[in-house]
Amino acid sequence: MSQAPPDRTGVDAHTAPTPAVDLRGITKRFGAVTACDSVDLTLSRGKIHGILGENGAGKSTLMKILIGLVLPDGGSIHIDGEPQQIHDPLAAARLGIGMVHQHFSLVDPLTVWENVALGEGSRLDPGAVRKRIGEIGDHYGLHIDPNARVGDLTAGLRQRVEIIKCLRRDPSIVIFDEPTSVLTPEESTTLFESFRDVVAAEGRAVVLVSHKLDEVLAATDEITIMRQGRVVEHLRTMNADARTLARAMVGREVSLRTERAALGLIEVDEADESLAAPAAASMDREPVLSIRHATAIGAQGAPVLDDLSLDVHAGEILGIAGVEGNGQRALGDLLSSLVRLSSGEVSVGGNVISTRTPGAMTAAGVGVIPEDRHDSGVVLDMTVAENLVLMTPQQVANRGVLDRAKLARRAEQMIAEFDIQCAGPEAPMWSLSGGNQQRVVLARELSYAPEILVAAQPTRGLDVGAIEYMTDRLRAAAAEGVAILLISSELEEILDLADRIAVMYRGAIVGEMLRADADLERLSLLMGGAAA
Amino acid sequence: MMRQGEWLGLYVASVAVALGVSAILIRATGGDSLAVFDALIEGSLTGSGRWGLTLGAAAPMLLVALGTIVSARAGLVNIGQEGQLLIGTAFAVYFGFRIGGPGPFNLVVLLVAGSIGGALWAGVAGVLRFRRGVPEVLSTLLLVTVASQVTAYALGREWLLLASNSVGARNNVSEQLAEDNRLPNLNIFGNQIPSSFFLGVVFAVIVAFALARTVWGFQLRMLGRSPQAAQRAGVSQRSFGMRAMLTSGAFAGLAGTVMFAGGGFQFSNYKFVPGFSGNIGWTGLLVALVARERAMPAIAVAIAFGALRTGSSFVGSTGVEARVTDVIEGLLVLALLVPPAVMFIRDRRRARAATTART
Repeated sequence: MSQAPPDRTGVDAHTAPTPAVDLRGITKRFGAVTACDSVDLTLSRGKIHGILGENGAGKSTLMKILIGLVLPDGGSIHIDGEPQQIHDPLAAARLGIGMVHQHFSLVDPLTVWENVALGEGSRLDPGAVRKRIGEIGDHYGLHIDPNARVGDLTAGLRQRVEIIKCLRRDPSIVIFDEPTSVLTPEESTTLFESFRDVVAAEGRAVVLVSHKLDEVLAATDEITIMRQGRVVEHLRTMNADARTLARAMVGREVSLRTERAALGLIEVDEADESLAAPAAASMDREPVLSIRHATAIGAQGAPVLDDLSLDVHAGEILGIAGVEGNGQRALGDLLSSLVRLSSGEVSVGGNVISTRTPGAMTAAGVGVIPEDRHDSGVVLDMTVAENLVLMTPQQVANRGVLDRAKLARRAEQMIAEFDIQCAGPEAPMWSLSGGNQQRVVLARELSYAPEILVAAQPTRGLDVGAIEYMTDRLRAAAAEGVAILLISSELEEILDLADRIAVMYRGAIVGEMLRADADLERLSLLMGGAAA
Repeated sequence: MMRQGEWLGLYVASVAVALGVSAILIRATGGDSLAVFDALIEGSLTGSGRWGLTLGAAAPMLLVALGTIVSARAGLVNIGQEGQLLIGTAFAVYFGFRIGGPGPFNLVVLLVAGSIGGALWAGVAGVLRFRRGVPEVLSTLLLVTVASQVTAYALGREWLLLASNSVGARNNVSEQLAEDNRLPNLNIFGNQIPSSFFLGVVFAVIVAFALARTVWGFQLRMLGRSPQAAQRAGVSQRSFGMRAMLTSGAFAGLAGTVMFAGGGFQFSNYKFVPGFSGNIGWTGLLVALVARERAMPAIAVAIAFGALRTGSSFVGSTGVEARVTDVIEGLLVLALLVPPAVMFIRDRRRARAATTART
């Protein structure tokens, strides 16, 4: 890992009384990855403290340490001035720390009050629980019908139930872990407006973990920004603006990835004209992939794609940037024939492709490296050879009967070409490492010479060597004329690979620019939902 | 191979435990355990003509198991074979006697009608599953009850299944199948081996080949293991799943038909009666489970279960209480179920350890 930048600007000049929470030098490593690197954080009573950072910046790990889900490797925790060891969530609860989790932990068939009462050790008193829900609702402006079935509620109301569940125990320190990822802007504004007054009046300490700039600016009193496991900036909200926050959040540190990006940039500089020319030329031609006004409704009833339009040309890499959870997954699934459009259309090479027919996208020549390869990329219980022909078994069959010899030959050839480390074609897929599973996916998707290749988070969870291999292959495919749609939540990856960048926010493309014109600040603002 | 050794060891150990517990049980109830085990073996294997009966009993179990394997590979849990078997047999009986015709022709009518009947009954659950999202586990199971009521009703009506000369008879029985319309036996080494068993073996080979070596089997397995990947590959859950369901039911219907028309082990003397299925549908499910959803091993497992059935009919003669016989049978079935369960859990754990170590 890279050396620590000495630019930490954390200052706590304004904490006069004993802080509610004082974290000092918190460090947590997962294998080679340092999720938190001597992080300091001070939470004051009566204040809402925003923690801002990209995916993987270490925000969630830090909060899990505070709630006792993760044990730190080093550092100290003081609660109200007393040193504490938080070994498990129960210990955290005894200290008055409550957390509203990012993912729902609700039981759909049960009613609101049943969900709220769930996990309480004491005798169940439905009347008292309903009454308490009403009180919390009045107090915080979180009104809800305690008898409603949770399964019938919208995402926003479910989030409300989660919050009530947390508040019911009357915690003096409340952590919100990206609570608004499923809320509409209006819902989140109302929530935090009512919240602020109560927090200040009752002296509670609140943490709001988020990567949404506007939300943090609107709701908090002070802000800590994390990047790559470190605190890089600490400031009062009144002194902050979206631009400074965006810059601090993305940063310009030397990381492994940006080092390579820098190398890539040198190459681009040398061959600037020759590379830029075909990219510009491709703009004039008809796009290979064209999505128009795509709208799709997710399982929660809210749109996951909302009037999304984009074009990808042959030989071009279009990078889709954006904070995760803004519909990127649905976009990948749409091009895998896993999502149906309620309106809009997808065309490949000028032909409209039905989103209702299974396999239509694959048949039309759309290759996909899916975001979650275990979901639709590989079948773990089948062999490597079978996985290499998963989408097109007909190619190794005669009149519906598989030709074993042909299958084995083909598999061996692909294993050699893509340097897949495995015991052989007959090895079960689950016996391969993640990087090699990803190579199987890549080898297969390229094997049927797709016109379009969708690469969704293609390097997630891979080590440096595997990342390099993947990016080289993607570049090579583009050079051969494949239209590549790169969906990634890592901005560096997009800046490294893409010819053109589009930013996705709440299921739509909110901005588009050429790589050459890309401006980190503008990208970050777009990703944070601020109109640029 | 280490794994094969592991399997063998597990089977030997669990059967030994089952026999040990059975022996204690027989002693405790005042019986002679050695005599009981002798009777089991004589009744299933060594007695005169018993081999043929064992294979005759195994045949329908094998057919049911093959259907179960097809649906299970597609990721569907069809547990209503008992009902599909009943409805299939009812179809065979109805159309067999309506259409008539010469022996071999009538036999074909029986087998085809039986398969269609079973497929239709499974198809009801399939439609519910793929049009309305009703879990097939529930619908197939509940349709068993409906099937037994429907067949009981039909057996009480002369215009449906009831034999015309049975007015005033105590039981609701169909007509008996004429001798030249029955499935023939093959005489091998002095044993009458029913042709239904060979039918089962042929189908087992076909199913094994289709699953392992055809594009259809490939896609079916993909659907069962990863519906998402299958959908991307153009394998529609609805049409593939529906076909798997129909195939599964057809095998159950066929199983009922060979019980009705087959030689060897006589399930009800070539007549269709209430309670005709005799738990063969359930036993076939167990066969598929023990064979770990693979067609060729299902042949051996079906023979083992067939032997348990024919063998236990001799145990009664040793003076042991009938209930004790039932318990012994149950213990031996359990003994056959334990090794796959142990291996399944072990494989799961290994796979999980492997995947978590990788991610």
